[in-house]
Amino acid sequence: MIDIQNLHFAYRKKPVFTGLSLQLQPGHIYGLLGKNGTGKSTLLRNIAGLLFPDKGKIEVLGFNPGQRQPSFLQEVFMVPEEFHLPDVPLQYLLHHLAPFYPKFNKTQFDQYISEFEIPADSTLQNMSYGQKKKVLISFGLASNASMLLMDEPTNGLDIMSKSQFRKVMAGALNENKCIVISTHQVKDLENLIDRITIIDQGKILFDQTIDAISRKLSFRISFDSEEVKQSLYSESSLRGNAIITANTEGEESKLDLELLYKAIILNGPSIHSVFKA
Amino acid sequence: MNQTFDLNRWWLLVGKHWSENRKKYILSLIAITGLLLVWFFFVVAIDNYRPLKFEVQVATYFFGLILVGCLYSSLFFGDLASKSKGINYLTVPASHFEKMLCALFFATIAFLICYTAIFYMLDIVMVKVSNAIAYSNWQKNHEVGEIFEPDEVMNIFTAEQKGNNSHNIFHYLFLVYFTLQSAFILGSVYFPKFSFIKTVITLLLIALFFSFFMAKVIPAFMPEGNYYRALTSYNFYSGNNDPGKIVILPEWINTFLEFLIKFALAPIFWLATYFRLKEKEI
Repeated sequence: MIDIQNLHFAYRKKPVFTGLSLQLQPGHIYGLLGKNGTGKSTLLRNIAGLLFPDKGKIEVLGFNPGQRQPSFLQEVFMVPEEFHLPDVPLQYLLHHLAPFYPKFNKTQFDQYISEFEIPADSTLQNMSYGQKKKVLISFGLASNASMLLMDEPTNGLDIMSKSQFRKVMAGALNENKCIVISTHQVKDLENLIDRITIIDQGKILFDQTIDAISRKLSFRISFDSEEVKQSLYSESSLRGNAIITANTEGEESKLDLELLYKAIILNGPSIHSVFKA
Repeated sequence: MNQTFDLNRWWLLVGKHWSENRKKYILSLIAITGLLLVWFFFVVAIDNYRPLKFEVQVATYFFGLILVGCLYSSLFFGDLASKSKGINYLTVPASHFEKMLCALFFATIAFLICYTAIFYMLDIVMVKVSNAIAYSNWQKNHEVGEIFEPDEVMNIFTAEQKGNNSHNIFHYLFLVYFTLQSAFILGSVYFPKFSFIKTVITLLLIALFFSFFMAKVIPAFMPEGNYYRALTSYNFYSGNNDPGKIVILPEWINTFLEFLIKFALAPIFWLATYFRLKEKEI
């Protein structure tokens, strides 16, 4: 679905990607994680055809995104971090924007809007930032575009809205759709994504499915100082020491995405060694 | 699916643009109406005899058309200056060609029609008002045998006035409108911020460069003499008693240059706008 080969991209003289390669398949929700300024948004904008690679190849659904052909644009919907919606009633949005997306489903849109608790007869002008974002997310999902790119979708959402977001997203995936969520708020994506891709300094630092992570790593709280010492990564907390160890016993543990993210950033080689084994 | 132009998709784009901008456009048209009205009343107030004579109507129509038209055109792609609005604009599933045609439809055709309609709506009424005032003044103070000649509403389509064959200048003014307006549309893609000012400066610099090139650079490579009537003919002379020798470039060059300046500049600017839109990154 998305095939990125040897991507080079720079803003003037500041390189962002120097040979990034990545393949994404339909039927998955990908979590694109990374620190601020590591190129997550730049990667999404390259995929959406809003930025053009300096070198290398990007192919999305068989299209060259940079050409921004209508057939490509109606299959790729982007929810940017900084978004704009015109100050029109919600019904105008449906009447004038939805026809551009042949697979748009109004029933689905009404259902998402209802789940997000947005009044269907409201005007975008009178909505808060968070409400507008929920409208855009609902529209993107109801467009049934094959590729949904979301840049920091939970920014600006309150606690209840984040929970609604996770619920809506979990029900929106099907085998034809590929959803890429870029965020630095890793907690918001827990139980939602099925593959994690971590970008750092323009390179893929880690790229594994949740299944593989659960099979290979164990996440738990430990009070045993020896176990903490032996762990791949540990972090002290009020509850004890949160640790990551190699899952040699095949035990099931609850994935702590934030802990994993910190472990990869701060102690990447030891985590990688488990996956190479 | 046609990836370049689909009438249905283009019409959707026109509908979307209108639905998102109609409040702004209606307010702008009201503002234009107000400004024209103020101007007409001002002219009627300062001239008691023939306030809305043909020349005043012509100047008002074309000055407003060109100034407001260029200002509107320079704002058309203003969304591209903002990351959020630019992403919203570029990701709408329509081709660059359709987006370009949508801009031309609103900035060139729709604006021309709306402005002309507003102008006539006011001009017809104001010419009657002005004639009534002028007639009243004429009755109070006219010499024996002097005939009152009321002003007529000018016709921009035939652009003819009784006894005044000035249609050529009208023709040129419309060409100036289309050319300048297309230059400002291009400017709005090239300079998303302060587009109007930057386009004015660019056009002035181009004009300055062209004038300098023709007046200083070309003569430096030519024998003594000067241009004769047009830039395609040159009068060579060696001294005061020399009657000179005029060299005229082939007529087709003259025709070609005239065609280029009159009819080709606007399409060239539209084409440049299309390619600039195509290569736009956000």
